[in-house]
Amino acid sequence: MANARRQVPRAMPDGLVCGLFLAPSLAVLSLMVVYPFLSLLYYSTLRFSVLRPAQGSESVGMLNYTSLLTDDAIWDRFIFTGQFVLATVVVQFVIGIAVAYAFTRDFKGRDLLFTLALLPMMLCPIVVGFLWRYMFNSEWGVINYLISLFGIGKVDWLGVADNALWAVVIADAWMWTPFVILLATAAFRGIPKDIQESADIDGASPAYRFFRITLPLSAPILLIAFLLRLIDAFKQSDLFLAMTGGGPGSETETVSFRLGKIAFSYFYTGDASALAVILLVIIIGLSMILVRHLNRVKDQR
Amino acid sequence: MRRENTAAFLPALVVIGIYLLFSLGPVLWMVVSSLKDRQELFSWPPSLIFTPDVSSYAAVFGLGDSSQSAASIGLVGALFTSIIVSVCGTALAVGFGVLAGYAASRFAFPGRNDFMFFVLSTRMIPPVAVLVFYHYMFSRLGLTDTIPGLVLVTTFINLGLATWIMKGFFDGVPQEVENVALVNGYTRLYAFWHLVLPMVRGGMAATAGFCFIFAWNEFTFSSVLATTKATTLPVKISSAMGATGIEWAQICAAGVVLVLPVVVFFWLIRKYLLMGMTFGVLGGSRT
Repeated sequence: MANARRQVPRAMPDGLVCGLFLAPSLAVLSLMVVYPFLSLLYYSTLRFSVLRPAQGSESVGMLNYTSLLTDDAIWDRFIFTGQFVLATVVVQFVIGIAVAYAFTRDFKGRDLLFTLALLPMMLCPIVVGFLWRYMFNSEWGVINYLISLFGIGKVDWLGVADNALWAVVIADAWMWTPFVILLATAAFRGIPKDIQESADIDGASPAYRFFRITLPLSAPILLIAFLLRLIDAFKQSDLFLAMTGGGPGSETETVSFRLGKIAFSYFYTGDASALAVILLVIIIGLSMILVRHLNRVKDQR
Repeated sequence: MRRENTAAFLPALVVIGIYLLFSLGPVLWMVVSSLKDRQELFSWPPSLIFTPDVSSYAAVFGLGDSSQSAASIGLVGALFTSIIVSVCGTALAVGFGVLAGYAASRFAFPGRNDFMFFVLSTRMIPPVAVLVFYHYMFSRLGLTDTIPGLVLVTTFINLGLATWIMKGFFDGVPQEVENVALVNGYTRLYAFWHLVLPMVRGGMAATAGFCFIFAWNEFTFSSVLATTKATTLPVKISSAMGATGIEWAQICAAGVVLVLPVVVFFWLIRKYLLMGMTFGVLGGSRT
């Protein structure tokens, strides 16, 4: 095919077209990713605050990193973030895949119900945070009213760290399960009809069809969905900001949230840069593992 | 075609029904709460039937009596900023994503997989991690508190998703389309513009839909980089947690106002939504 193309004269060689097409994205990426990342690496070795640039900066080598990594409070934040990520991603996928599977059926009014099911992810995250904070209020919140119908007394949802974790998980899962539904439905409907039909003819049970045909065949997209949700959950801080403000104490601060505090409340630019680098390395590392796995799954097909 | 009877649908409808209760309940509660006055907001048991009070909406738009009071959010200026930033940011992200997605779909340039991973980093980066530096960079470039600065940020946050979705759509267009055009003496740019682009118009609509959600609702970057002159709606709304306590009804009203354009957009592009979300990874051509 490439040879056939080369015989035809044209205004611009493909290589140049390719370069020109990639140029705007590469420009944005250099300015907004490469440059900041290199600068963060540099700042992370300094004792420096943007509030007092006049005081100058002092090179401290790896001190910012060692002091962060030996700080138990930071490890607690990582553990808390891990619990949150695990809980919310599992909830989103269990509900999301079940609902998406239901949406693979053809029925009247499906498009309308589908659009309605996506509604939560269209809302503004900061509004979602306040909305759930309002509903989770222990004195007059509608959630405590609903559970009181089942004879359960008022629960202090946001004032106790363990409850607050679950309250934010519910809010986050509520908002982002639609994203899983969207991708999973697209994946399930992308499975060729003849495969489904031959399974029908072979008399495969519904459970067999779901676990041995539908899930494996849609694995690549489910992996992309998993990757995107994992990343988003890991960097979640808007909901915590609106719902708990990190409290009680600092028990519901995620790593992202704590980073924001170090950078913009205390203005320890050096420490913040070091924590940012650690966070980026973790997220990029996790993503690389998943993308590599994704490429392997794709190649098997 | 397989014909299914109602009994086969029943489990599916039950699952969807229960889910919609969970997902629409809070949305309805937001609408209900936006119409409550101070007394109704904090009543126990929470009320569903009451005399609606639209003063929160008036306050959101800075109209009526409440426009004089300090508690009013006053969103008209922020609405203007938000529209310009979201529309420009979405257009740029989709434009750049179309170009990069086409290049990644058609040309086997060295490091193509690395590029696709690299471009997704725009979604991986936790805003606070780079905000430390953006804050500094923006003030040096004179972009702090300006619309161009916000457009740059919204383009950046959506670039990865736009490139990935658009690559999926271009993968669905057979190579033969360009090959035929090239053999017939047309240039690649002509084939791209006049033949391939019209075939992925739906894909561009779907991509724009997603980018618009994230641009319209972006909060973390804007809340640090643009706080006084070029405030967007979400930043303005967050200021409702002022000294007088949290203005719940105004937040809910603002939430309703904010979500309406997105809902309309999504209803218009509903046909293309599902096509776009396979990222071209389910094999070559789409059915």
